[in-house]
Formats: sequence, structure tokens, C-alpha cells
Amino acid sequence: MSANPWLATGNFYTTYKQEQKTFFTNLDRSVFTFFLVILYAWPLLFPLGNKYMLIVDNILIAIVAVMGLNLVTGFAGLISIGHAAFVGIGAYTIASFCRTIGDSHILITHLWPLLIIFSGLVGAVFGAIVGLPALRLKHLYLAIATLSFQMIFEWTIQFMSFFNQGQTIFVGRVFWFTGKVGRKDHYVFWYFVILTFVVLLGFGIRNLLKTRYGRSLIAVRDNDRAADAMGMNPGLTKVYAFALSGFFAGVAGALHAYVYRGVGFESFTLHESIGYLAMAIVGGLGTLNGSFWGPVAIKFLDLQVERLAETAGQYLPAGMNLATALKPLTFGLVIVLFLMFEPRGIANWWRIVKSYMKMWPFRY
Amino acid sequence: MAYLNVSDVTLSFGGLKALSHVDMKIEPGLITSIIGPNGAGKTSMLNCISGFYHPTQGDIHYKEKKLTHASPHQVSSMGIARAFQNLELFSGLSVLDNLLLARHQNLKYSFLHAVFFFGKASRVEAENRGYVESVIDFMELEPYRKSLVGNLSYGVQKKVEVARALTLAPDILLLDEPMAGMNQEEKEDIVRFVMDIQKERNITVVLVEHDLGVVMDISDQIYVLDFGEVIGSGTPEEIASNPKVIEAYIGED
Repeated sequence: MSANPWLATGNFYTTYKQEQKTFFTNLDRSVFTFFLVILYAWPLLFPLGNKYMLIVDNILIAIVAVMGLNLVTGFAGLISIGHAAFVGIGAYTIASFCRTIGDSHILITHLWPLLIIFSGLVGAVFGAIVGLPALRLKHLYLAIATLSFQMIFEWTIQFMSFFNQGQTIFVGRVFWFTGKVGRKDHYVFWYFVILTFVVLLGFGIRNLLKTRYGRSLIAVRDNDRAADAMGMNPGLTKVYAFALSGFFAGVAGALHAYVYRGVGFESFTLHESIGYLAMAIVGGLGTLNGSFWGPVAIKFLDLQVERLAETAGQYLPAGMNLATALKPLTFGLVIVLFLMFEPRGIANWWRIVKSYMKMWPFRY
Repeated sequence: MAYLNVSDVTLSFGGLKALSHVDMKIEPGLITSIIGPNGAGKTSMLNCISGFYHPTQGDIHYKEKKLTHASPHQVSSMGIARAFQNLELFSGLSVLDNLLLARHQNLKYSFLHAVFFFGKASRVEAENRGYVESVIDFMELEPYRKSLVGNLSYGVQKKVEVARALTLAPDILLLDEPMAGMNQEEKEDIVRFVMDIQKERNITVVLVEHDLGVVMDISDQIYVLDFGEVIGSGTPEEIASNPKVIEAYIGED
């Protein structure tokens, strides 16, 4: 190997291990590291107001959730319309702790990283249970089964006094090595935490896709008869796919609970589920980088629509609320346009740009 | 007792009998062909052996083990691989990944190894990649290693289908019409591969095929099915002179 470790040109693999590397050239690795450093550094250099930092946090949480949804719907091909409910399971795991041991118990304020992982595991268990119909059902019928889970979740939360009938359950402020994380630093602090989770989970998926545990997902999507003949148990693989997506959703839910410092049922409704599905479609189903593009695009669109409505509101009668009308409209329009013109999502644009850059300045 | 023993197998869908009282003995190291007119039950027979259908009556034994009610992934882990008649490849993946998927049972590392991709996972993946490469070499698929299976021509896809079954490192290979829809040259190619599979890799081959010329040339043993019943069995010479077989194929004069 290595004619020039910085460029792909002239380098040949001589062992199979070399081919497993995540970054093929030093240039790839440096660009990625640089990008990562920028992601960690910018909130310190250009501090944003709390309002916008919350939106950024929201995007990152959605990225975690959509990564999970992409595993089950994009890679394993099983449509899940109950993803917000899984996110809710994660959030309500934290809420249950708050209800039983108090919202400022040392477990919640100091051992929060463990608690977040634990919420992910609870999400995985529920994912596996909801995935059980996948042993028998396929396609739309399975989607309806996940929809029923969403309904059961909403009803359970709204009718159990333990969950405060869906009203907000408070979560205490957490501690870091520097002491209690105050009101001023709250959203920046959680930005770093969620970003760390996104990076770790992203690498996790990337590694998983190189192994049997990732390939088997794609196998059941493309052809579950052949997958069976190749020695995989397709039923178990589907249940495992749901469990995996449940884990990501659970982690996202726990992060949501901590960032908002409270859990209320309205963040985990069917509407949110469809939102996650839209993010996965717009980003690009069955791609890892699609899970990043989708949430960013949809949340950014939301923000712009809100801004537009605000500007237009100055010239309209006071009774009219343009934002409530425009939001669902643009949201639906974007999904339809993507399904029609770019069903492979933004990830496909990224692929095109990358292959163009590879050859630049030559065309072929 | 034979290697793979099919005894008195009946398969019925409601009132329709796809197979009735079929007996077959498949001997190790030979090429056994199953022939018959359309709808005779050849593919149903393969489906019964590979676990996609379960016989209504009768038993299938492999090396003294009963696999009448085993599911396809259990059958394949016992060492019986199967190539499909209609292409059943993972069309969204490269040839390499298709073959690596067939190594699923041999990739023994835990989920945690996979997530962090250290040590064992990386080593086992590289080892199995080596095995896959040996199959790619054997089936002469080198130019297509990294191309998406869905974009390849029909003839090459058929070859990938056989290669994938071969990657399971089976003792018995069930081939369901590997030559259907191919031209003369491609057919000769596949025939050469089938014979190499038997001779070089010592794999027992069960072949379902329509092309009588090919079957007569390469088979060691032939079973003829018609309307779900075995109407003749034996060496190619015996089959060629069997009046029942001639009647089924050509009709009465």
C-alpha cells in the first residue's frame, strides 16, 4: 500500500483488513476530524441564544431517533409508524424514575449517562415486543401493527395517573464535573452531550453495517426467502431490527426528557411519528448520512416557514395565524415532491456531489 | 441407508397432489438429476428438501438426521445449499456482499464486537472474505466483485446465484434449473461449473433441469417425475430406454 497516503490514487489493497478501514486516505480522515472539531467548537466561538440552541438540540435528538428509524425502515425495510412512541418509552423511563424516587434524586442528576443508556435498553425491549408481529406480518399489515402500538402508548400515558395523565413530569437539573448545569449553560451543555451520542452511535451503525449484524438487515429487506436459505432466521432478524431501532429511539427520548427538563405526552404523538418517517424519507432511506440530512432539512424548513409567517403576519389581520396553516402544507408538499422527484433523498445528492468531487477537474 | 433419503413423500395443496409417494435416494459424490415435464413437481421436491415446504406425509433424512419439518435456515446450516430457479438475489447489494451474506453462519462474533469492530470481528470478517474470494475465483466472477447485483446481466446473475449457494460450503448443492433462459455458450459454461463443483469440491449435486441433452451427458443418476410421481429412475442409459419416460415426454404413438 501507500504510494501517497493522502490520496486514493495509486493505492492498492494488499490485505482484506486494509479494505475494512473507515477512512481510506489521510485526507478523508483529516477532513472528518476537522469537521468534528468545528461541530464541537462553534457554540463556544459564536454563542447562540437559548431559543436557537434549543432548535439545534432538537435537530440532534431527531437525528438520533431517525438513525434508529432508518435501521428498521431503511435498512430492514419494515415500515414503523410508531417510532415516536418508542421515543416516548425512553422519555417516560426517565419520567418513571422521577415519579418514584423524586426528580432531583442523585441517580437522575449525577448518573444521567447510565440512565440514558438504560432508557435505550428499555426502548430495545419494547421494540422487540412490538417487533414480534413481524414474525407473521409483512408490509402494510406490519405497519398497522406498529400504528396500534402508537395508539396503545398514547392511551396508556393519558389514562394512567402514574404518568400524570400526560401532563408534564419534571426532571431535575443535572450535574457535571463543574457543578450544577445552570439555566444559562443548559442548552449548550446538552448540545455537547447529544453531539457525543450522535457521533458514537453513528460510528456504531457504520461498524455494524460492515458485519453480519448489519448485512442481515439488508438481506431481509431485499429478499427474505433467500435470507432464510442462506442460514439467517428472517423472523428473528426482523425482531432484532425493531429492538435496535427501539434502542436508538429510547436514547433519543431520554435526551429529550433531559433537554426539556420535563416529559409530556404531546411530544410523542402520531404526528411526530410521521414527522420522523418524513425525515427518514427526505434524508434518504437505507443510508447512514440520510439520517443526518433529513432532520436538518425538515427542522430548517419549519424554522423558515415560521419566519415567513412572522413577516407576513405584520401585513395580515391579527386574527389570522399563517404559521398553523403553512406548516402542514409545506411539510406535505416537501414529502410529495421528494417521493416524486428524489425518492432516494438528499443522501443521493450527497453521493452525486462526492463522485463529482472525486474526479474533479475531469469529467470522466 | 443413503446419504439423502426421501421416503414416501406426499405433498398436497388442498385437493391437488404436487407430489405423491416419492422415493429418492441421493448418493454422495454423484450428480443426481430430477427431470420431468412442466408441473411435474420438480421444484416442489427441492422445496421440500430445502425446507420451504413441509411434506404432508413421508420423511426426508439426511445423514440419519430427520429434516422433514426443519426450516430453510436449519437445513442450510446442516450443509444443504440451494440455488433458486427465479433469481432470488439481494439485488441492492454488491456481488461481494451477496456472497458474504452466505457466510452468515460462519461469522461467529458477538454483537459488541460488531459495534466496535475490534479484534475478533475484524479478523473473522477478513478470514471469511478470503473464503468468498476463493469462490469468486472458482466461479470466475472477478470483474463483477464490486458491482451491484441488480445491474448485472441475467447470465451473470445466474452464476452469482450458484456462487452464493456454493459460498455456504455445502455437502449437497441443490440447483434449480441453473441453465434456464441461457444461450448455448452460457449453458456450456454452467455445465462446466457443475462438473467442477462435483469433481474439485467434492460436492454432491442435485440438478433440476429441462435440457435433456445436458442431463443425459453429466448425470450419474436420474429421477423422472410426472404428475408428482416417480415414473423412472436409474442411469442415463436406463432412462433413455425406459418406455414410461418416452411416453411422458413424447406421448403415445
